[in-house]
Amino acid sequence: MLDSIPSFTRLVTELTKFPGIGSKTATRLAFFLLRQTSAEAEALAGAILDLKRHTRFCSVCYHITESDPCQICTDSARDDRLLCVVETPQDLLAVERSHSFRGRYHVLHGALSPLDGIGPNDLKIPELLQRLQPGEIDEVLVATNFTVEGDATALYLARQIQQSGIRVTRLAYGIPMGSELEYVDEATVNRAIEGRRKID
Amino acid sequence: MKLNVSPAIVLHHTNYGEADRIVTLLTPDNGRIKGFARNARKSRKRFGAALETFAEVQLHWTQRPGSGLVTFQEAELVSLRAGLRTDLDTLALAGYGCELTGVLFDETVGAAETFSLLKAFLDHLDVNGASDEARLLLELRLLSLSGYVPHLQHCAACDADLPAGPVGFSAARNGSLCEACGGGRMTLQVDRMTLGTLGRILQTPLNHFEGFRLSPLTRREGLALMAETLRHHLPSPLKSQSFMTALDSADES
Ligand SMILES: [Zn+2]
Ligand SMILES: [Zn+2]
Repeated sequence: MLDSIPSFTRLVTELTKFPGIGSKTATRLAFFLLRQTSAEAEALAGAILDLKRHTRFCSVCYHITESDPCQICTDSARDDRLLCVVETPQDLLAVERSHSFRGRYHVLHGALSPLDGIGPNDLKIPELLQRLQPGEIDEVLVATNFTVEGDATALYLARQIQQSGIRVTRLAYGIPMGSELEYVDEATVNRAIEGRRKID
Repeated sequence: MKLNVSPAIVLHHTNYGEADRIVTLLTPDNGRIKGFARNARKSRKRFGAALETFAEVQLHWTQRPGSGLVTFQEAELVSLRAGLRTDLDTLALAGYGCELTGVLFDETVGAAETFSLLKAFLDHLDVNGASDEARLLLELRLLSLSGYVPHLQHCAACDADLPAGPVGFSAARNGSLCEACGGGRMTLQVDRMTLGTLGRILQTPLNHFEGFRLSPLTRREGLALMAETLRHHLPSPLKSQSFMTALDSADES
C-alpha cells in the first residue's frame, strides 16, 4: 500500500540504515516526520547536512571536531604529560563523563583483531607512536575495552611504548558500581580479586 | 523447538548493529554452529563474558528447521581462558588456532576429535603461552583430521624409502619426493629426521601438548613444511596470519 507513495518509501529505506532501527520503527518515525511542520523537517535535514559539512577528525587526537585541533587538544588547563588512548570517540565521551581525567586523548578508531586481520596500521597507532616524543609524556593510560580485541590492543601498545621509558597503565577491572556480587560473572569477580586494594 | 545443550568453544564473533553479535562456535556433536546473540554487547546479564572469543561455555540453543543461524538461549561460562589474553603472541596464536580450525573443519568427519584438539590447544596456551611446538602440533593434527596430511616418510610419488639428509618436499605433489622423482629440484628441502619426527607426532594422542621439545632445526623445517602445505590447501591466506606478520614486522622496526 505504501509502495504507492515513493517519497515515503524512500525515507523508510534511509531510516532502516540506522543502527537498531527495523522497518517497523522506521515506518513509525516516517509517520512522525510526516506530521511535523516543514520548518521542523528542514531543521532536522539541515542538522544532518551540517554535521557532515562541518565535522572532521582532529589532526592531533582523531576525535570528532569542528575546529582543528579540537577543543580538548587546545585546552590549556589540561595535563600534556598524561595521554588516554581509547578505541572510539564514544569511549572518549565516556571517560570525559566521569570528570576524573584531565589529560589529553588519542582515538584509535578501532582495536587490534587477529581474527579480523586488523593490525596496527589499520588503526591510528602509527600516529599515536609518532605523538609520543620521549621526555614530553609521562604516562599513557590505555582505556580500550575489556574484550579480546581491547586486550590485544593494550598488550601491543604496552610492548611498543614501554621501550621508550613511558609508563603505560590500563583501566582497572572491577565490579560495576551498584551491582550485587551474586549476579556478577565469575571472570569479572576473578579480575576484581586480582586487582583488590587496601582500604585506607 | 528442541532445546540443544552442549559444550562449545567460541571461535569468532562479529558485532551486528548497535548491540547484537553473531557468534561462531565449535561443538563436539553438532560441529560448527553460528548464531545470533541479541543484546550481547549492551546487556551483560544474559551472556556476560561467555561469548568472548576463546571462551568455553555450556551452550543452550534452538534452531528453526531450515535456518542457518541458531538462537542462543543461554551460555554458562566454563572457562574464559584469561591467560590467553595476557601475552600478545599467545593471543595471536590462539586466534590463529581458532581461525585455522574453523577453516579446515570438515562437517563430515568427527567434530568430537576437532573439538578435543582445539580445547587441548587453547588450554595448553592458556597455561604455557605460545610456542612453535604448540603451533606445529595443532597444524599437523588439523591437517590429519581433514585428510590433508602429506606423505612424510616415503616418497609421495613412488613410495620409495627416503635417504638420510635433506629431502625435497612439494605440497602440490602431496609430500616428500625421492631423488628419482625430482626431490632435488624442490625449493623446500627438509631433513629426513624432521619428517620422522612429524610422523611420530601423528602417532601421539590428539590432545597431548605437554612435553614436546623439538630442536630449532625441526621447528623451523616443520613450520615451513606446514606453511607450504596449508598454502596449498587453503583458499586464501588467514586473517590471523597477516596479523601475526604485522606484529613481527612492527617488532623488527
Ligand atoms: Zn584533538
Ligand atoms: Zn619417488
